[in-house]
Amino acid sequence: MQFQPFDGSYLERLRAGDYRAQEHFGAYFGALIQIKLRSRLKSREAIEDVRQETFTRFFVALRDGRIRQPERLGSYVNSMCNNVLLEHYRKGARLDSLDDEEEPQDFPDTGIDPFGALAAKETEKRVREILEQLSERDRRLLREVFLEERDKDEVCRDFGVDRDFLRVLLFRAKQSFKKRYGR
Amino acid sequence: MDHEEVVRSKMTERYLLGELDPDARDEFEGHFFDCPDCALDVRAGALFVEQSKVVLAEKAQSVSADMPVAAIAPKPGWFTWLRPAVAVPLMALLLAVIGYQNLVTYPRLQLALNSPHLLPWVSVNVGTWGSGGPVISARPGQGFLLFVRIPPDGVYPHYIADLYNPSGKQEWSLTIPASPGQDQWPVQVPGADRAAGSYILVVRGVTAAGESKEVGRTSFELQVLK
Repeated sequence: MQFQPFDGSYLERLRAGDYRAQEHFGAYFGALIQIKLRSRLKSREAIEDVRQETFTRFFVALRDGRIRQPERLGSYVNSMCNNVLLEHYRKGARLDSLDDEEEPQDFPDTGIDPFGALAAKETEKRVREILEQLSERDRRLLREVFLEERDKDEVCRDFGVDRDFLRVLLFRAKQSFKKRYGR
Repeated sequence: MDHEEVVRSKMTERYLLGELDPDARDEFEGHFFDCPDCALDVRAGALFVEQSKVVLAEKAQSVSADMPVAAIAPKPGWFTWLRPAVAVPLMALLLAVIGYQNLVTYPRLQLALNSPHLLPWVSVNVGTWGSGGPVISARPGQGFLLFVRIPPDGVYPHYIADLYNPSGKQEWSLTIPASPGQDQWPVQVPGADRAAGSYILVVRGVTAAGESKEVGRTSFELQVLK
């Protein structure tokens, strides 16, 4: 997914209902919101509820002209998401939209794939190649941490490494992953 | 949050590994929502982690056999206590028990079941009540026969007989279907560790609608032979 500068023109296109701008907005911030919420909410439904509500409120604010700093669009979306999340914690799972008369907008479904058009299989293939280049021990280390979700300090102790080793391992794998797509 | 500091301290990796405290996490999120480079970094890292789980789950089946086991401490689990030193004697004991049951216990039981034998018996008449009912003598744990006579009334399709022991506790309950022309039923009372004393049999008639009413009771004296 190509980055588009969040400027006045971008906001205007969003306000005008430009589908491509909306699709980009939904994909870009939808992915970030999903990553943010995964560490806080257990159910996919709750994540989706908060995501949709965040977007609904954003577009209401956009329509009402309350978004005045397009270059801080990301911060605005993040703050809005934080507010929706806080309300979610207070009220429970079910959230009502602020404006009941507002038609619920169905935003494009977003994964966390930063490269838009890349097929899931292709992504899996790339990840597999990267993992195969790691030593067996490093693969097992990642498996214990990410798949089996064991305590990281315990895993590091078992493997005779420290937390910084784990961070560097993930950093290198991530860089390799990004590199394969020319970034 | 300074972008250079974010990169230098591997903030993305710390974030994805869940190492940031809530304030640092919120601050980093505030940063990458506005920073396209960090946003891409976080998204790539998160995608890599998610896809890795899929691939690593498959690879779990083909972990190298010559991976040095000593390098990794064994995970404690339910079956770590089941070492050969414990499991083998335990299984030998279980086999011995099974063998004894199959070779000794069951044949004896079978012999006992298939052989004819006499049972003590007594006849009781529901509707006659008073002290000094009939006496029945039985060995400890031995069963006996109760010939229960219920005066026919043509009202109830079936009866329920409840036996109470000398301490007043109900021992069992038996359904007796009414049959035209029959007024006596042989009830085989199974052997049990029973106390000697006066036992009471209460019979209730049950209508087709399920309503029950006591039709009578009787008693007998059990003597336990030594």
